[in-house]
Amino acid sequence: MKSKYIFIALIALTSLAFGASDSAIWGKDLIANIAGYDKEGSLHLGKYFTLLQSTYFKPLFFGVLVGVPAAFFIHYAVIGPMIFSHDRKKIYVFTLFNRVVHAISAISFMLIIPTGLVMMFGSFFGGGSFVRLCTEIHAISTLLFIISIVPMFFMWVRWMFIHIDDIKWLMIVGGYLNKDKKPVPAGRFNAGQKTWFWLATLGGVLMISTGTAMYFQDFKLEIIASYGISQIDLLRASAITHNALGIGILALFLVHIYMSVFAIKGAIHSMITGFKEEEEVEILHSSFYKELKEKKEI
Amino acid sequence: MSESSRLKFYCDENRCIGCDGCSVACAEAHELPSGVNRRKVVTLNEGIEGLEYSLSIACMHCTDAPCEEVCPVDCFYIREDGIVLHDKDICIGCAYCLYACPFGAPQFPQDGAFGTKGVMDKCTMCAGGPEETNSHTERELYGQNRISEGKVPVCAAMCSTKALLVGDSNEVSNIYRERVLSAGHGVKTQPYGWNVAYGSKK
Ligand code: HEM
Ligand code: SF4
Ligand code: SF4
Repeated sequence: MKSKYIFIALIALTSLAFGASDSAIWGKDLIANIAGYDKEGSLHLGKYFTLLQSTYFKPLFFGVLVGVPAAFFIHYAVIGPMIFSHDRKKIYVFTLFNRVVHAISAISFMLIIPTGLVMMFGSFFGGGSFVRLCTEIHAISTLLFIISIVPMFFMWVRWMFIHIDDIKWLMIVGGYLNKDKKPVPAGRFNAGQKTWFWLATLGGVLMISTGTAMYFQDFKLEIIASYGISQIDLLRASAITHNALGIGILALFLVHIYMSVFAIKGAIHSMITGFKEEEEVEILHSSFYKELKEKKEI
Repeated sequence: MSESSRLKFYCDENRCIGCDGCSVACAEAHELPSGVNRRKVVTLNEGIEGLEYSLSIACMHCTDAPCEEVCPVDCFYIREDGIVLHDKDICIGCAYCLYACPFGAPQFPQDGAFGTKGVMDKCTMCAGGPEETNSHTERELYGQNRISEGKVPVCAAMCSTKALLVGDSNEVSNIYRERVLSAGHGVKTQPYGWNVAYGSKK
């Protein structure tokens, strides 16, 4: 009687061992994936990925990489930067914690984005060990990105919800189309900053999960499988999402750099020292300024 | 390159007995690490009488190969005879080729730094790679180069039922047509399957 149970337990164990060694890509799903490739009822992701990767992603990345800085170059030449008085008081806006979290995320972006671009334009760099090294750096710096984006989300999210000011801000494109120092409708963060926040955090989570899926490649997630999505289709969807969203993140990353380094003279100092010029707050974050005045905090 | 002069594999499902000889021969001939299966035998409709059949699958050396179209480092090259090869020194192991491939052919040994996936490996139709033909490096990286010696790829060479065919596509379809036409004319076209091996029930 006992030996019977031992036998059953052994059988169960061996099937577990086989189950574990069975690949989610080249295992028994392989047949269905070959037979269903681009057939009716399939997700057609293989075809979509091939089309997007072979003809659209590279030119789109290139367009953003050249187009966005070009537009800023023109803006800088025609309208020029906003310059605010440094003689008035300074307002403490970013705590040390804020600045450290932002610094880590900035470092991770400066590693992730260039290395991602090297992968995307891998043939330009001749492939091989240099591009492989960038692939590793891209993956490792994702860890830095994770440890910064989670606290960033929680420390700023309460100011990031949409407000009537945001609509007004968008109507006048944040006041960047001229150099008049008229108060711009915005709270602690303006509509542009809010967009960047959501793209970097929620988009960032998507980038992390799709990137991680591609990194680990051969694994099985029961939730995904229960929707009838095969592992290879999950990888294809990940690659499509990662690259498409990457274009958006690259674009807003470039905007973010231009704003903080060039368009508003000295804006970057606030992320280093924590202090913003009073005039800058008064003009660019007028609702926030009024609020501070009412609370008698300045 | 004319379509008919391209080298192609074809697996005759009426003959394949699912013995896995081809995939074992491949793994041994090229000394593949475990976990890398350049060739794989699959059985369809398993257990359904009359509908069950087996097929041997590897890289199909596609015309307009999708893998080549998506590779971000352009490491694929297609030989005059249609064999699709790639350069492992250039490959970065991103697996885009796997996402594009309809056959799950590209393989990724777990040998990169930090236990990550290494560069891609796949069936070369026994034609080696871009290194000097029959050099030690070529053998280490890509396995045997039998084509350069005028030999048939090892999988098809050892296939006991001659289910797995390889050759220029005209030649392969001629052989297949002949087989279909001669079926039922005293020529043995079906494999010695279950009824010979174990005796028929009827
Ligand atoms: C301009 C932006 C970006 C581009 C062009 C880009 C490009 C790429 C490419 C081509 C791959 C495939 C290579 C591979 O799987 O090894 C990849 C993988 C990956 N990406 Fe990105 N990416 C970008 C941004 C990001 C961001 C913002 C994150 C998240 C923080 C991220 C995380 C990852 C991860 C974890 C992988 C897997 C790494 C690996 O397999 O070695 N990427 N990325
Ligand atoms: S790797 Fe896949 S897509 Fe490329 S030639 Fe082989 S079968 Fe075709
Ligand atoms: S894994 Fe290698 S061969 Fe495949 S697409 Fe990436 S770089 Fe090209």
